[in-house]
Amino acid sequence: MHSTSQCYIFAPVKNEFIKNWETQLKKGLLPYFVLKALEAQERYGYELIQHLKDDFNTEVTESTMYPLLTRLQKEELLISKWIEQPTGIPRKYYYISENGRINLAAMKKSIDENLTK
Amino acid sequence: MKAIEFKQPASQRVYNSYIERCKRVVKPLSRQDQEECLLEINSYIYEYINDHSDDEMTALLNILDRIGDPEITLREVVAGKKIDQAIKTFNIKHLLQALFLNLRNGVAYILLALMTVMLLTFPVLIVLKLVNPAQTGIWVGPGVFFFGITDNPKSLREISGDFFIPVVITLGVLLYFLIIYILKAIRKKKP
Repeated sequence: MHSTSQCYIFAPVKNEFIKNWETQLKKGLLPYFVLKALEAQERYGYELIQHLKDDFNTEVTESTMYPLLTRLQKEELLISKWIEQPTGIPRKYYYISENGRINLAAMKKSIDENLTK
Repeated sequence: MKAIEFKQPASQRVYNSYIERCKRVVKPLSRQDQEECLLEINSYIYEYINDHSDDEMTALLNILDRIGDPEITLREVVAGKKIDQAIKTFNIKHLLQALFLNLRNGVAYILLALMTVMLLTFPVLIVLKLVNPAQTGIWVGPGVFFFGITDNPKSLREISGDFFIPVVITLGVLLYFLIIYILKAIRKKKP
């Protein structure tokens, strides 16, 4: 009885801790996910959000994605181009730059060395 | 920027009001950067609504909630673009706006803002030197060294003489380039 009660008390705390830790981990890995998602093809902001959700199981809102894409572009890891659409609302497509590919490879190496041991 | 057209007038009002808030936030930027920010926000709104076309108002409220308050979401973008503009144009107005927008981003920006305020006093010193040459200068005395104006020049010695104005101009230029250099260094260092 005593031991059951202990499990009941501590299990949710541990889950909350893991949940927070996963959030922080994903936040740290977000630039990697974005570069990885753009490695094979260019995408626009909303498409990137959907891709991260479907392929990386990572939920990102526009309030996070927009400043992040601006920052990565400033770091010259991404380049962008506005493409006119028949709707009249253009899309801003993001492409990975050569510098972005070099950094993506370095990030992948770092993940392999530090997280997949 | 082409505004999104909604079927329901209520949705249109909510959208227009949000875009107006965005316009106010990006106002310190150049016309081109303002347009770029608005186009991007508009694109996020449009693509989301296009993908969730079941209920227009719900979709609109959801996407505006996801983008968040323009005052918060656009803060980093506007502050960053303003620094780029200040570095590119060497315009003191843009520099002051950039520093003000970045004040909450760290002590370095507060120090840079103080340096800029100091820089703004230099032209005042030049005018004071022309108006009141006897009391304006670089002063040295027992345990005292300062740059500016004094009401007790007899106990102090002025060391710059006729070179005060060239010295102030030179220091001003050096200080300005130092501020821009530090700003560039901080921007590069920021992760």
